[in-house]
Amino acid sequence: MEMKKKVIPNKIPREALRALEDTLGSEWVTEDRAIVETYSRFSVDSAGTLRQHQKDHTMLPACIALPQSTEEVQAIIRIANRFKVKVIPFTNGMIAFNGPSTPDPTICVHMSRMNRVLIIDEENMSATLEAYADYGQLQAEAMKKGLWNGGSPLATTLCKLSSQTSFAGIWQTDLKYGTLSRNIISTKVVLPTGDILITGSDTVSGTNCHWEYGPGPDLLSMVRGSAGTTGIITEITVKLHSWTGGRTLPEPPAGRPCILDYHKPEYDTAPPPQRVKLLWVEFPDYDSEVEALRTIAQSGIGMGLNATGVYNSYYCSQTQEMTLQRVKGKFFPPYNCYVILFGVTSDRQMDYEEKVLREIVAEYRGTFLTDEHKGDVLDALAPWNLDCIRHVTGYRMNRYFYGGSIIPGGLLKDTAYKTKEIWTRTINEMGETYITDRGGIDDTPFLYAIERGSRFWLSEADVYPNPLDPKSLEKARGLTVASVVDFVSQKYPPIGLGVAIEPLTSFFPEQGPNAHLLFRKIRKIFDPNNIYAPGRQVFTEEEYKAVPQEVFDSINALRTKYGLPPVKR
Amino acid sequence: MPLSKQRLVDIFGKERVFDDEKTLQEYAQDQSFSPKRMPDFVVFAERVEEVQQVVRFANETLTPIIPYSSGLNFHGAALPDHGGVIVNLSRMNKILQIDDENWSALVEPGVTFERLQGELMKKGFRAMIPFGVAPKQSVLTSYLERNPVMAAPSFEYGNFLIMDTEIVLADGEVFRTGIWCAGGKPGGPMGPVRNVIFRLWTGAQGTLGIMTKMGININPFIEERKLYFITFHELSEALEPLKRIQRKEIGMECFLLNRFNLAALLSEEWKVPESFPIDPNPSESFEHFKKTIPPWVLAVCINGASRYPGEKIAYEEDALKEVCYDLHVELKESLPQVSGLNRILLNEILYPWGILKKFNYRGSVHPLTFKSSLSCVADMEAVIKKVCDSGGYDASSIGAYLLPLERGRAVHCEFDLHCHLNDKKETLKVKNLWLKASETLINQGAYFDRPYGPWANMVYQRSGHYTTKLREIKREFDPQGILNPGKLCF
Repeated sequence: MEMKKKVIPNKIPREALRALEDTLGSEWVTEDRAIVETYSRFSVDSAGTLRQHQKDHTMLPACIALPQSTEEVQAIIRIANRFKVKVIPFTNGMIAFNGPSTPDPTICVHMSRMNRVLIIDEENMSATLEAYADYGQLQAEAMKKGLWNGGSPLATTLCKLSSQTSFAGIWQTDLKYGTLSRNIISTKVVLPTGDILITGSDTVSGTNCHWEYGPGPDLLSMVRGSAGTTGIITEITVKLHSWTGGRTLPEPPAGRPCILDYHKPEYDTAPPPQRVKLLWVEFPDYDSEVEALRTIAQSGIGMGLNATGVYNSYYCSQTQEMTLQRVKGKFFPPYNCYVILFGVTSDRQMDYEEKVLREIVAEYRGTFLTDEHKGDVLDALAPWNLDCIRHVTGYRMNRYFYGGSIIPGGLLKDTAYKTKEIWTRTINEMGETYITDRGGIDDTPFLYAIERGSRFWLSEADVYPNPLDPKSLEKARGLTVASVVDFVSQKYPPIGLGVAIEPLTSFFPEQGPNAHLLFRKIRKIFDPNNIYAPGRQVFTEEEYKAVPQEVFDSINALRTKYGLPPVKR
Repeated sequence: MPLSKQRLVDIFGKERVFDDEKTLQEYAQDQSFSPKRMPDFVVFAERVEEVQQVVRFANETLTPIIPYSSGLNFHGAALPDHGGVIVNLSRMNKILQIDDENWSALVEPGVTFERLQGELMKKGFRAMIPFGVAPKQSVLTSYLERNPVMAAPSFEYGNFLIMDTEIVLADGEVFRTGIWCAGGKPGGPMGPVRNVIFRLWTGAQGTLGIMTKMGININPFIEERKLYFITFHELSEALEPLKRIQRKEIGMECFLLNRFNLAALLSEEWKVPESFPIDPNPSESFEHFKKTIPPWVLAVCINGASRYPGEKIAYEEDALKEVCYDLHVELKESLPQVSGLNRILLNEILYPWGILKKFNYRGSVHPLTFKSSLSCVADMEAVIKKVCDSGGYDASSIGAYLLPLERGRAVHCEFDLHCHLNDKKETLKVKNLWLKASETLINQGAYFDRPYGPWANMVYQRSGHYTTKLREIKREFDPQGILNPGKLCF
């Protein structure tokens, strides 16, 4: 009988552990297996999950350290440097590549004790937060003062702004406010050397935190999208904007649900906040929809403009069965989008903007969803009344495990049509892992307007494998990598959002060219002892050399298939 | 390997390589207080490949390379502190693309604001332009140096205007940022690998690479625009109205001018100079306006829209009136002291170089250019007045322009001191005052985010690990230190 493989976690040197305990207190450092597994739990990563199936011990950190202050984070980093131990920062694990991907023992610096909103600066329209503070906390505090941060990702209270600074930050209101990239004033970063870097105006001693660019060359460029490789963000100051939606957000008439009742539809019917209006539109075909999206984005109206296609099915369904029923039955119109109107200036602004919107929609043969026209669909979409500002149904997304994404970006037509073309080709060739992978094939893919003017859009297609089935995970990984290679072969970058993670950096030298070499240099500047966030974003020379041959072979096989030369070791 | 003219001639041809005294003198000094420094050569690049070659040549010969576009920086950023080769990019002047479907333009460093705006207007578009740039100033360099445009009060239309870029790095390699990075077409600012990586090269004065192309945002020109004025006796009185107007997101352009600057702009005798510095010129109308117009004028421009422009202006106008009513300030559509002010300033918003007439006052202008929070602006003005007062500089001869940024989160401040550079005594006095005011302002929390000339030491010695990291990046990116040495903290 075959013996089951047992995962034996690495250990950091005992001296290093004692130093951590001395610094943080022994209750805030642990090697306890159960606690380590709990605190390093991650999702949205088919490859990492697959490695867990394979009992890959490198997915398990050696210990968890829980600092409470920037100074404690500094102390951890200095200990790590002293004992040459690797470190990964960790918040909620809701992004790919969270697991330490090194055979060396690794300290997981979990930021959960640094969870305060430190300052809401009403006068200068900014908020300063610790690393683990989330969008929900920030919005709640800012709205009390007639301000808000300008947006929310899908799952407001799961997402931490500091972590999103490293990886993500797409909001539903990017049309008006841009992504998180446009809303960071300052970051306080513990560098891999243990020193502190402050970006923005308050890096200059005696200057307050009001302007986002540092003196001369701007070093936010090194922090934003770095996947944590240039340091741990312990504090972040973000911009606040005028908010006329009320000091608190409206609640559903049924009140707040307890966890047992959360799936019930009566808790999904909150009205939109004051001076916020959400309008849903369907179009007869994709071409009309794309043209209408461009015209709306360029008209100067609205706070958010996005198309969500099939994804409505699992954001707005109360059960998994309902999701499947709605996807198969094509319950939601295939070519729909929503527009969020926001009257910062006055009620008359709302009237004006709605008038313009109605005119554009009519020009492109669109139809508004109303009580009379597909009232049941509109009713099902009711959660978005609130979710467009503070997203809560993200918790409940009814589909299998979210196993990865492709995020193309660029000009609207390129983004809209290339995503559809390439994702369709990939799925048709390899097959889906779950029916919801077909989002964007039979209907519109995700389309986010990133700014007014329709210059830049992001799209998204996702895979939803069964996390208990290694074959399904393998296929999910294959789908995303294959479609990325297809994009690169057509001269589009592997990630439209710009935040590449390995192997998308080293194995796609087309972006640059040789951008990976430049970023490897930068990594070395920031992390001379090579202790930080191993394997993330860009491999060090040593990590690149250690990439298994089968990874080279499989990616090169795809590159060759799409007419790209193989990458050499 | 020694610096050799022949190598430069091999790259550029002999007609584009200059080392004659007259040419070198032209590049040795500008209108700032920066000391005179002679370059060894001036070359005119016409292609990216030439820029790559001269950078490689500079590495071999350890020759400083100073990128130069229009030479209208006013702060000494393009002066050859350590000698070397001035790489004049003004002949790389193609507007490579005006994309009227996706509202962007792709320009080379030699494209000037005057030309770009002219070309865009023909197609019904406009570029966002900073107040007080010269018409012949490089669009690319101005954006790269983060000069805030007049629409900067609008979070959406006046900021984050750079899209894709192309840079020749210090090793001669070409690097592209944005969607363009993968070899396709330009189409967005993000990437490669880190999504705002292009910001590393902003404010860098050409010390980390030479930018050879830039994609920028353009917007349709809306004919229907309306300008409103509020006047104040003191700067401090303007701050609450400014804050309320911005919080309600009224208008696109919004700025404050003091009476010196507005009078200079309105002068009937003065012309916009073509080069700087100039000889001072008298102006009766300037003196007249300086006596008669209010001490501070706040201008708010409400733009229409492509659809129902009148209705958009109307609802914003209503909101503006409401703010003024609540604060008991009078909203005006004209100033009795100036006929046609509305028309003049609406034009200035599109072609904002009329204010450069101010150079006629004493021939050279020495701005204190910094950012401040709105609540500190009046204190900053008081600091400047106090320093000027102590040094015998007439406070009524200080020009001021204040621009709220992103709905008043911060304010871009420009307070100008004037002097005649041929008058050594006056120059020394004003230079000392300018340095003292700079230092005092920084001590008070003013933020000089583009630390030109002597500001660099003042700022970087207060910037801890930011400075350390910049130096480490510079060492790795430009190990021979050939790119515009002597600037910033390098």
